[in-house]
Amino acid sequence: MESGLMHHVALWLAAFLTLGIFSFLYRDNTWYKVCEAIFVGISAGYWFVAYFWDNLYTKFWVGVWVTPMADRPDDWYVLYVGAALGILMLLRLVPKVGWISRWPLAFIVGATAGLYLVTYFASNVMLQIEDTVRPIFGAENDAPIYEIIGNIVVAVGTFTGLIYFFFSKEHRGAFGRAAKVGIFFLMITFGASFGYTVMSRMSLLIGRMDFLFSDWLKLIK
Amino acid sequence: MTEALVVTGTNLGVVISLALIAGGVIWLLVRSLKGKEVERRVIFGFVLIAVSAPILFPITFHEQISPVVKAVFDKIESLPAGSTVAISFDFDPAMAPEVQPMANAFTRHCFAKGHKVVFLSIWATGQSLLTSTLDTVVRREFPEKRERIDWVNLGYKAGNQGVLNVIVSDLRKMYPTDVNAVPLDSIPMLAEVKAFRDLSLILAVGGGFPGPKEWVLYVGDPGNVPIAAGAAAVTAPQLYPYYPRQLIGILGGIKSAAEYESAMVDKYPQFDSVDKPGLRMMGPQTLAHMVIMMFIIIGNIVFFRSKRMRSQL
Amino acid sequence: MLFRVAIAFACLFIIAGVAGQPAGDTALAVQQTIAPVTSLIATNHEYDNGTGIDLIWVPSIDDRLAPSRVTGYEVWRSVVGGSGSRIAELPAGANKFTDEQCSRESTYVYSVVAISVAGNAVSISTAPIQPAREWINLHRLNLLAIAFLVSAAVIYFIQSARSGKKLFVRKIAGLDAVDDAIGRATEMGRPILFIPGIQDMDDVQTIAAITILGRVSRVVADYDTKIKMPVSRSLVMTAARETIKASYMAAGRPDAYNDDMVSYVTDEQFGYVAAVDGIMVREKPATCFYLGAFFAESLILAETGNSVGAIQIAGTAMPAQIPFFVAACDFALIGEELFAASAYLSNEPKQLGSLKGQDVGKAVALVVIVVGTMAATIGSAWDVTFMNQLWSALKVVFQTN
Repeated sequence: MESGLMHHVALWLAAFLTLGIFSFLYRDNTWYKVCEAIFVGISAGYWFVAYFWDNLYTKFWVGVWVTPMADRPDDWYVLYVGAALGILMLLRLVPKVGWISRWPLAFIVGATAGLYLVTYFASNVMLQIEDTVRPIFGAENDAPIYEIIGNIVVAVGTFTGLIYFFFSKEHRGAFGRAAKVGIFFLMITFGASFGYTVMSRMSLLIGRMDFLFSDWLKLIK
Repeated sequence: MTEALVVTGTNLGVVISLALIAGGVIWLLVRSLKGKEVERRVIFGFVLIAVSAPILFPITFHEQISPVVKAVFDKIESLPAGSTVAISFDFDPAMAPEVQPMANAFTRHCFAKGHKVVFLSIWATGQSLLTSTLDTVVRREFPEKRERIDWVNLGYKAGNQGVLNVIVSDLRKMYPTDVNAVPLDSIPMLAEVKAFRDLSLILAVGGGFPGPKEWVLYVGDPGNVPIAAGAAAVTAPQLYPYYPRQLIGILGGIKSAAEYESAMVDKYPQFDSVDKPGLRMMGPQTLAHMVIMMFIIIGNIVFFRSKRMRSQL
Repeated sequence: MLFRVAIAFACLFIIAGVAGQPAGDTALAVQQTIAPVTSLIATNHEYDNGTGIDLIWVPSIDDRLAPSRVTGYEVWRSVVGGSGSRIAELPAGANKFTDEQCSRESTYVYSVVAISVAGNAVSISTAPIQPAREWINLHRLNLLAIAFLVSAAVIYFIQSARSGKKLFVRKIAGLDAVDDAIGRATEMGRPILFIPGIQDMDDVQTIAAITILGRVSRVVADYDTKIKMPVSRSLVMTAARETIKASYMAAGRPDAYNDDMVSYVTDEQFGYVAAVDGIMVREKPATCFYLGAFFAESLILAETGNSVGAIQIAGTAMPAQIPFFVAACDFALIGEELFAASAYLSNEPKQLGSLKGQDVGKAVALVVIVVGTMAATIGSAWDVTFMNQLWSALKVVFQTN
């Protein structure tokens, strides 16, 4: 019975908040501001709790204090390094020694850059170049026409796109014309991306409307 | 690729809504041509009608599966029964209406083919959405599938791409236990899975950071594991460069989810009765797109007309 | 010699018997109705952390019959001084396997069992082997070489710029609009709004935005226009204040500067957007700059700016947000153009050097794509050996696995 009541309260609350956010479409108002504040507060709280239990408790506390020595991995003491860096980061709150928080930040930036360099270079540069280099049509000349067109589009699009983003030469003459083709390709990509975004946003709106009509108002089964 | 229009429910509502929209669009065109401003709230009103009408009076289409979606479907079909597949829930409630239908369809398909499924999330908000799939799909539709024998829930782990960088070569280092604190070594279905590179397929469902792209960079490429993406439409265009070499297939947005659901029903008629949100949402989606296309056409007509008039002056 | 070989075989049999002989009903089949696999060799798996051992063998002679009498193979592993266990089941026809679950501290012995309906056959066990760790993955030498080439180019150009050499960077189209847009704001007597994205100073896009701010604020100081800059990060606020202050000093008008030009709002994404939208609606800026790292707020900001009739200049390297800026703003710096604009305006050696170094990488990619595509097409369509060899060579250079 209680869970049924709670379910109804949750439904009404969700509907109240959804309509509150939608009310911004008419104009900015207090109802919207209240809903926005609730959203901001709850999301910040949710992340705090999630990080606390997953990192501080499960990873650090359990790893350092709860797990028996025999079951710990060889490098368990590395957790202390992480904790120390975390404390240094918190020193940002103390104005006098706030500059120390740059050290853990430097660690994060450095480690992330190192991690990215290898993976991005391998996946986004080397593999992409290797995959772009392919025959436009095959030996038997039996490739369907749409595949040949597709191969030409990939080769020309990549080539001219790179030309557009080449900054050491002025965009004049043949080079400039190639760059212009490149920008056409970019614009078509942006158009496709925009179209996809419209679909994405519509899906979210439909999801909310579906909730209002079926779960809340029970107008449809 | 809409094959056939099957109108279910009351047609009257749809007809009235279409008439309302058509009349409104003509009014909008005439008003714009006269050079009068159109309030943006009027535009919102049109979109509201276009979205609401097909929800209240459902229109469903049969979707023809496109090659990039079919590649994912065929991959799951081609794996021998008993293969271990991972489904990662890397999204939040805001993205859920778009990508959760994909995650649910993947789950159904894997179980229907007899695969074992590893569920996990690298988004804190993905954990509760993963639980909802377990409740509404796994436990309800596949009660015979046993936890830790046929499927396992690893839960959420913080660390973004750092998590992926570790689990590709050592799963137990990052996930010593499943979500219920049961050690991975005592879970029968994971006896052979020491790392994510041992999996037969990874289905990365998401659209933000970290998402399918990070799965490709940190797991797919270095571990040589096939990855398929279920992506929010916003990020789908950025994933195409990885197809077909680094991503075996992509589901981009609700349209692809609907295609997948159609393919599922064609192959497994027993799923005809389950909820198919992808297909359900394609009615409102199509109508809303038609309205937006009308706006774009009207906007361009007015733009070029006023430009010509200015140049004549 | 013969005696040594005999001893070695005897040892292997003993090891197999003591440690390597698989236990269990399948392995202990007495009747060898099929031939076992032969030439089973275990080698260390190259370029790993010392966790892998490669096995290779010649399949059972009965596996080569059609239909094969062998239904599959089992790989058994035992730690020297410990018991054996089955680690893999493979289909008929298999002739290799990599055991990736080894420990550097242990020594292993392997055997392969050929399975058939009639019975199983156990191979001779391998010699004991201990996996070794390698520090450098030579399979990725090409990655190292290309990364080295690009890095060397970056360092070379940075040094060149530092030594005073003039490095050419083409003019960025959107930048011409900056002066006009500021002039317009001055004429209209309305402020300029500068949004440096929503990321902190550790994001290179924010740094590029602050560099461009230096140029914008210099013109603003010269024209005596008002500038407003709400920010979402405290560090960005400090950096922006310093930058604008320096511009006003350079323009010889330090008295006209005040700290209120830059104000901190909130770190929260949509809270920040709500505040900026409010500022736009109230103060109706004549020009809006959106430069830096943007997420879902890009379209909301650009839409609001559009509705108040501002000239809008945007630039971001966030791929998903560029389309919105292109659609809703008057000028957009696309992707890397943001960094190029920053380097162009600042003439800072590090930025210029990085940009030029990356151009070297792009030039290499351009040449490879043109040459490779031609070689691949000519090679495969007309079967020209040299072209096919060239194509294969390029593939090897850019392969990463």
